[in-house]
Amino acid sequence: MVRFTKTGKFLSYVFLTIYALIIVVPFAMIVLNSFKSMRELFMKPFSLPSTFRFDNFVKAWKFANIGTGYRNSLIVASVTVLIVILLASMFAYMISKYDFSFRGVMFLYTMLGLALPARLAVIPIFVLLRNLNLTNSLAGLVLVYSSVNLPFSIFILKNFIDAVPNELCEAARMDGAGVGYIYYKLILPLVKPALSIVAIVTFVNVWNDFFFPLILINDRSKATITLAVSIFFGEYSIQWPLLFAGLTLSIAPTVILFLIFSRFFIAGMTQGAIK
Amino acid sequence: MKVRTKYVLLFTLPALILYSLFVVYPLLDSLALSFYSWKGVGPKIFVGLKNFREMLFGNFSKEVFNAFFHNVYFFSLATVLELGLGFLIAFLLASKLKGAKLFRTVVYMPNMIPLVIVGFMWNLFLNPQIGLVNSFLKLVGLKALARPWLGDPSTALTSIILVNVWRHLGFYVLVILAAILNIPPDLIEAAYIDGASNWKIASRIVFPMVLPTFRTLLILLFIGSFNVFDMVYAMTGVQAGPFRKTDVLGTVFYRTAFGGLGSAYVDMGLGTAVTVFIFTIVMPLSVLYVFLIERRERSW
Repeated sequence: MVRFTKTGKFLSYVFLTIYALIIVVPFAMIVLNSFKSMRELFMKPFSLPSTFRFDNFVKAWKFANIGTGYRNSLIVASVTVLIVILLASMFAYMISKYDFSFRGVMFLYTMLGLALPARLAVIPIFVLLRNLNLTNSLAGLVLVYSSVNLPFSIFILKNFIDAVPNELCEAARMDGAGVGYIYYKLILPLVKPALSIVAIVTFVNVWNDFFFPLILINDRSKATITLAVSIFFGEYSIQWPLLFAGLTLSIAPTVILFLIFSRFFIAGMTQGAIK
Repeated sequence: MKVRTKYVLLFTLPALILYSLFVVYPLLDSLALSFYSWKGVGPKIFVGLKNFREMLFGNFSKEVFNAFFHNVYFFSLATVLELGLGFLIAFLLASKLKGAKLFRTVVYMPNMIPLVIVGFMWNLFLNPQIGLVNSFLKLVGLKALARPWLGDPSTALTSIILVNVWRHLGFYVLVILAAILNIPPDLIEAAYIDGASNWKIASRIVFPMVLPTFRTLLILLFIGSFNVFDMVYAMTGVQAGPFRKTDVLGTVFYRTAFGGLGSAYVDMGLGTAVTVFIFTIVMPLSVLYVFLIERRERSW
């Protein structure tokens, strides 16, 4: 543990507080200004709103189809998480616990995807989905996101499954447990923490992504939350209070969830990059 | 353990098929497509190396290299700020400060907002007429500093990078903090007993010990910096600000492949050539990244 003298401590507090304000003040500004009228926002941008008008929220919600955006993002992110967890854990389990030819090759092959940003391949993905009639569909997004999130998930899960003692699996086998039974009854419960890391990281990645919906979705009824809000910004750029209300609505769900479960989010996201 | 082939296939094929179809095949197809001229519909015309010639030496090269140097600037400034400030803040947080936990939560908060939304929100804040940044400067008597941040060619790109740092810094702080807390406490204790100053401890013990983490973060920053798109798109649009002052390879790619008002080059083939270009820059370090984390795993 690093130690500071009294003055050192004081200076640290000053510095950290300033930095915390730089983070928190913009959030507060967004929320406060979304309750104001255009005139009030212009005259007194930093003050508390004189009256809390909720009509900005109502208008923003309707205009940008925020409800549809939430619903679509929620569907896409949840289904993706389920697919990724299932396929990645099955794959990682097989690679980690059994001997068969091409095992190493298979693992390296999937690890390639960890190194290469899939967004660079977006045109062929776009063409492929168009040929499959899956542009403008949530299913298309789910397929892309599931595939793109597989390498990292396999990587994390394999590390955790490697840590499960082989003797445990062998003993289960002696008792007559099959390959599927060991996976479902032994491995999955033991690597639950890893499964939640994978779920959080995948969910946040999908929920926050803008690039793939921008290219793969044209139909406003299929827009994810990020795309819904971006359409809004393009078309409504004069009505500032509405824009602030739109921003508040788009960031509120994740920020509230984060504040409640910050410990898990932080663990999940930092594991995600470095491990 | 031994296993029958049918189980191997059952457990590995679903992942392999999905990954091959939507990641590997598109990446390879990108390479192929960069040798064609194609409007997205109609015939693909094989043009050999023409796209690459155009991109590296032709008229298009001006646009590409302008953007490339912006990516380089992006990488340099973001690295200095994120690793520098990240280390400083992590070092302060590694002490027994009250409220450190709360602080960790606060610094990480911006990471939860989509990049594109961060871009939109700062776009509003930086607006020259009623943006909050200028209003704030007036409020504290620094009116002279107020300017159209994103409209001024000299500040546009730097503003975007600073917003990017605002969004990401918390992540770097936490990763570096985790690395610092991993250092055996005895090492730091012993140094204090020998009378070392905090500066000595930071520069001679903590910094060298977290160097491997810096290496990994540096690679992530590099890959990230050459793939920037969302933030630039949200803050200055596909035309990339005044005189393309904020153009990056990502926006060049988007304009070229999917069109955009005022884009002289609209061609999916030429667009993929730009991605192949990004790819060539990022690929060696990406492979190094996988190698590094793989090796770290094994040493555990």
